[in-house]
Amino acid sequence: MPQPQDYQTLLPVIVLAVWACALLLLDSFLIQRKGLTACLAAAGLAITLGLTLSQIGRSSSGFSGMVVLDGFSTFINALQLVSGLLGVALAYAYVKRMGIERGEYYTLLLFSVVGMMLMAQATDLIVVFIALEMLSIPLYVLAAFNRTQAASEEAGLKYFLLGAFSTGFLVYGITLVYGATASTNLSAIFAAASSTSNLLLTIGAALILVGFGFKVAVVPFHMWTPDVYQGAPTAVTGFMSSGAKIAGFAALLRVFATAFPAIAADMTDILWALAAVTMILGNLVAISQTDIKRMLAYSSIAHAGYILMAFVPYGNPAVAPVSIAAGLFYLAAYVITNFGAWGVVIALEQPDGKGLQISDYSGLFWRKRGLAVAMTVFMLSLIGFPPTIGMVGKFYLFRAIIDGGFTGLAIIGVIASLVSAFYYLRVVVNMFMREGEQKIEREFWLDLTWGAAAFLTVAISLAPGWLFYLASAAGLR
Amino acid sequence: MLLEYLAIALLLVVSTLVGLIAIGLGELFGPKIKSKVKDEPYESGMPVIGAGTRRMPVRFYLIAVLFILFDIEVVFFLPWAVAFRQLGLFGMFEMVVFIVILLVGYAYAWKKGALEWE
Amino acid sequence: MNFFTEPLTLLTFFPLLGVLLLLFIPGGQKNALRWTALAVSLITFVISLWVFFLSGLYDASNPDLQLVARHPWIQVAGWNIEYHLAADGLSILLILLTTLLTPISILSTWTAVEERVKEFMVFFLLLETGMLGVFVAQDLFLFYIFWEFTLVPMYFLIGIWGGPRRIYAALKFFLYTMAGSILMLLAILWLGIQGGTFSVPQLIEQGGIPANIQWWLFIAFAAAFAIKVPMWPLHSWLPDAHVEAPTAGSVILAGVLLKLGTYGFVRFNIPLFPEATLKAAPWIALLATIGIIYGAAVSYAQTDIKKLVAYSSVSHLGFVMLGLFALNPEGLAGAILQMINHGISTGALFLLVGMIYEQTHTREFKVYGGLWKLMPVFGTLYLIVSLSSMGLPGLNGFVGEFTILLGAWGAGQSGVFYWGGVWFAAISALGVIMAAIYILYMFQKMFMGPQGEVVDEVKKHGHSLRDLNWREIAVIAPLILLIFWIGLYPAPFFDLMAPSVNKLAETFSAAALALR
Repeated sequence: MPQPQDYQTLLPVIVLAVWACALLLLDSFLIQRKGLTACLAAAGLAITLGLTLSQIGRSSSGFSGMVVLDGFSTFINALQLVSGLLGVALAYAYVKRMGIERGEYYTLLLFSVVGMMLMAQATDLIVVFIALEMLSIPLYVLAAFNRTQAASEEAGLKYFLLGAFSTGFLVYGITLVYGATASTNLSAIFAAASSTSNLLLTIGAALILVGFGFKVAVVPFHMWTPDVYQGAPTAVTGFMSSGAKIAGFAALLRVFATAFPAIAADMTDILWALAAVTMILGNLVAISQTDIKRMLAYSSIAHAGYILMAFVPYGNPAVAPVSIAAGLFYLAAYVITNFGAWGVVIALEQPDGKGLQISDYSGLFWRKRGLAVAMTVFMLSLIGFPPTIGMVGKFYLFRAIIDGGFTGLAIIGVIASLVSAFYYLRVVVNMFMREGEQKIEREFWLDLTWGAAAFLTVAISLAPGWLFYLASAAGLR
Repeated sequence: MLLEYLAIALLLVVSTLVGLIAIGLGELFGPKIKSKVKDEPYESGMPVIGAGTRRMPVRFYLIAVLFILFDIEVVFFLPWAVAFRQLGLFGMFEMVVFIVILLVGYAYAWKKGALEWE
Repeated sequence: MNFFTEPLTLLTFFPLLGVLLLLFIPGGQKNALRWTALAVSLITFVISLWVFFLSGLYDASNPDLQLVARHPWIQVAGWNIEYHLAADGLSILLILLTTLLTPISILSTWTAVEERVKEFMVFFLLLETGMLGVFVAQDLFLFYIFWEFTLVPMYFLIGIWGGPRRIYAALKFFLYTMAGSILMLLAILWLGIQGGTFSVPQLIEQGGIPANIQWWLFIAFAAAFAIKVPMWPLHSWLPDAHVEAPTAGSVILAGVLLKLGTYGFVRFNIPLFPEATLKAAPWIALLATIGIIYGAAVSYAQTDIKKLVAYSSVSHLGFVMLGLFALNPEGLAGAILQMINHGISTGALFLLVGMIYEQTHTREFKVYGGLWKLMPVFGTLYLIVSLSSMGLPGLNGFVGEFTILLGAWGAGQSGVFYWGGVWFAAISALGVIMAAIYILYMFQKMFMGPQGEVVDEVKKHGHSLRDLNWREIAVIAPLILLIFWIGLYPAPFFDLMAPSVNKLAETFSAAALALR
C-alpha cells in the first residue's frame, strides 16, 4: 500500500503527467490558437520546475524502492525541465513558420519530459525501461512531425526503428542481469553482484550499455544520429539532442554507479574505448560536413564521447563522485550551449529548407551582430575555449579523468578538441571573414533563447562556483 | 548448471533438423513440374484477382492500432478483478486512475475523428 | 571587495571599459571611434606608468611579486582557484611594452583601416586586456583563460583585416597555438590536482615534484610556449600570420604576442620545474641556436619584406631562448631586455613597412629602389630601426644580444649547457653577422641604387610617393627614442628587473654546480 511519501517522491513527475493529459484534452476541445497551448505547456514545465527546485536537499525513495528522489535526480530533472522550456521557446514561432503548428507538438514534448524525469529517478530496471519508452515514443513522433517532408518522415522512421532495435538490447541486457542476480532493483543487483559469478552480469551490463549507447549516440551506435538530426524539424532536434542525451546519461550513470561497481574492472576498459572512439570519430567526421545540422549532429556525437569520459572511473570510489559531478557539469554546459547553437540555426532556417548550409552563414556578423557573436560564443564553448562554460566543463572533466589516472584518455580528449576547433571555426570564419547575404528570422522567444544562452555561456564561465557546487552535491554516493 | 540446458539445446537442434529434413526430402524426391497455375499464389482455391499486395485504406491501420491499444489495456482489468477483494479501496482508486488515463486517450482519439469512417 | 581600486585589476581591465564605450558609438563615426580607442589605450599606458613609477606602490628593489590582488574565486568541489594578479621584475617591462605598443598600433591604423573601424578597435582593446592578463595572472587557471583568450581577437584581426590568404593564416595561427596549449592544460590540471592549488608562487614554494614527472610537465608547458615563441621547428605559422596580418596586427603579434611564449618559459617553466629545466637547458639551447642560424639564413632568401622580418623574428627569439636557458643573471636579464628590444625594433619595422605599403601596395622589396632620395625621413628612420634590429653597438639590439651572448658563454663554461659548452654562444654569434647581411641587403635594395619600378607604378595611379607625415612620425618617434635610450643607457631597464632575475638565477647557480 503506497504511502504519501511515495507520491511525494514522484510529485513533479506526477504533476507534469497530469498537466500533459489535461493539456491534450484542452488543446483538442477548447483551444483554438495553438500559441496558447505552447504557453500552457511552458507554464506546466515552469510549475514542475518550481516543484523540483523546492525538493532540493530532500531525499527519499518510493514505491518499494522503484523510484528515488535525491540530489542527482533533482539536478537532472531541473536540467530536463529547463531544456523542455527551451524546447518550447525554440518551437513557438518555428512551427508556425514551417507550417506544422499543431497542439500535439507541445503535449508530446511534455510526455517526453515526463519520461526523461522518471528516468532520472528510476532505481529499478523495469522503471528505467518504461521511462525510456515514455521518452522515446513521443520523440519518434516529433521527429516525423513535419510529415509532408520526406526527410522528416525518414527521420522519424529511422529513429523509431533504431530506437526499437536498441530497446531490444536493453531489455535483453535487463533479462541477463535478472538471470544473474534474481532482481531488477539496482541496489539488490549491487548486493547480489558482489557475491556471485559475474560473466552473465557483465554481458547483461554490456548489453544495457549498448542500449543506452544508441540513445546517447555513442560510436559505434551513432549511425542514426546525423540523418535523424538533419531530417527532424530543427526545434525538435534541438530538444532531442539535449533532452534525450541528459536522460540517457542520467540512467547510465545511475545504473552503472549503483548496480555495477562490482564489474568495474571489465566495464572501465569498454567505456574507455567507447569514449575514445566516440570523441575521435565524431570530431573527424564532422570536419567534412557542409550542412550545419549534420555538423552539429556529429558534434553532439563527439560530446557524448566527452561525457562518457566521466563514466570511465566510475568504479573507483575515491574518484567516482568527482567524475560524476564533472559529467553532470559538462552535461549542463552542453545543454546551454547546444540550445543556443540550435536557436541560431533556427533563426537562419527558411521554410523551403534553405539556410542550412555552413556557407549560408557567410557574412552573418556584418548583417546581424548579436546573432553572429552569440554563435561565435557557442562555437568557442563547444571547442572548449575561454571565456565560455564549455572550457570550464572540459577543465573539470579532464581534471576528474587525470585524477582517476586515465591521462591517456585525457590526451585523446584534448587532441580531439583540437580537431574540433577546425570545423567549429569554419562557421566563425564564414560569419566574420566571408561575404554573403541571408534572411534572418526575428522572433521574440527565439531571440531570447539564443541571447540568454550566450549570456549564460559566458557568465557561468566567470562564476561557475554555484554550478560546481550543485553538480558535486548531486553526485551519486 | 549449463548441463541443465542441454535438453533445451537438443530440442532446438532436433526440431530444426526435422524441419530441414522434411523440406529437403520433398525437394529431393518430389516431382518438379512447373505450370502457370502452380506458380500462382494460393488463395483458397479461388481464381487470383489482382496483385498479391493490395493497397488498403489507411483507416484500417488506425482502427487496428486503436483496437490493440484499448484491447491490451483492458487485459489489465483481469488480474485486478481477480485480486479485487485483497486490493480493496486502494485498488479501486488505482484502477480509476488507469481508466481516466485511458479515457483521455479515448476522448482525444474521438475528438480527432479517429473513430469516424469518413 | 575593492576590486577596481587594485592597481593591476584596474590596469588589466581598463581596455575593457574602452570596449564598452566603443559599443555605444555608431559604426559610421570612424574618427570618434579612433579617438576613443586611442584615448583609452593612452590612458591605459598612463595607468601603467602610474602604477609602477608614480604611485609608489611598486618597489623595484624588491624581487618578489608585488601589487598583489588576490581573492578566492572558485572554491567549491575541491577546486582551489583564485583571482590572483601580481607583477615583479620579470613582467614589469613586458607590461609597459604592451601598454606602449597598443596606442602606437592604434595610431598607425588611422588611414590603414578604413572599413569596419569599430570592430577593429574592439578586437584590439580586447587583445590588450588579454595580453596584460597573461603578464599579471599568477593563478594557472586564470592564466590559461587569458592565454587562450588572446588567440580570439588576434584570430579575427588577421582573418578579417588581413591580406588575400588571411583565412588560411588565421586558422593556422589558431590551430597551432591551440595545439600547444591543450597539452599545457593537462599539465596545469595535473599540477592543480597534486599541489592542491593553482597559485603559481605557492606551487613554486611547495616544489617537490618528482624529477621524471617534472620532465613531462616541462614538455607540456614548453609545447605551448615554444609554439608561441616560436622556436624552430614549430615556427611555420609565423610567416603566414605576419604576411597576412594588417600592420597593427603584425606589430602586436611580433611585439607582444611572441613574448607571451618567452615570458611563459621564464615565469612558469623555469621556476616550476627547476630540475627538468636544467636537464632541458642544452636541448633548448640547441634548438635556439638552430633557430638563430636557420631564421637568419631563411631571411636572406626572402623577397617579401614582411616575410623577411618574420623569419628574422625566429632568429631573434632564438637569442631570447638561448639567454633564458643560460640560467644565469646575465642570460636572463639579457633575454628579458631582448624581448623588449625585439618588440620595439620589429614593431617599428612593421610600422614602417606598413607606412610604405599603404602607398605602394606591394611588399616585394626588389621592386623598390632609390627611395632614399624620395623619402629621406622615412629612409633615416628605416635605417635606424634596421641597424637596431641587427644589433649595432649604441642601439638597443646590441645591448640585449651582447648580454645574452655573455650569459650563454658563461653557461657554457659553468656547465649548464653540458655537452654543448660554449659552442652555442660561439655559433649564435654568427647569427648577428648574418642579421647584418640580410638586413643591409634589404635596405640596400629598397633605398639605394636606381629608382625602382614601384615609383612609376604609383605615379600611374596619379599619386607620387610622399615622405612621412607628422602623424606617422609621431607613431614611430617613441620607439626611436627607446632604441637610443636602451642602446646608450640601459641601466634603468636592467635595474627594474635585476632583483627578480637574480633571485631566479640563484636557485640555479648552486643546483647547476651540484649537478654537473
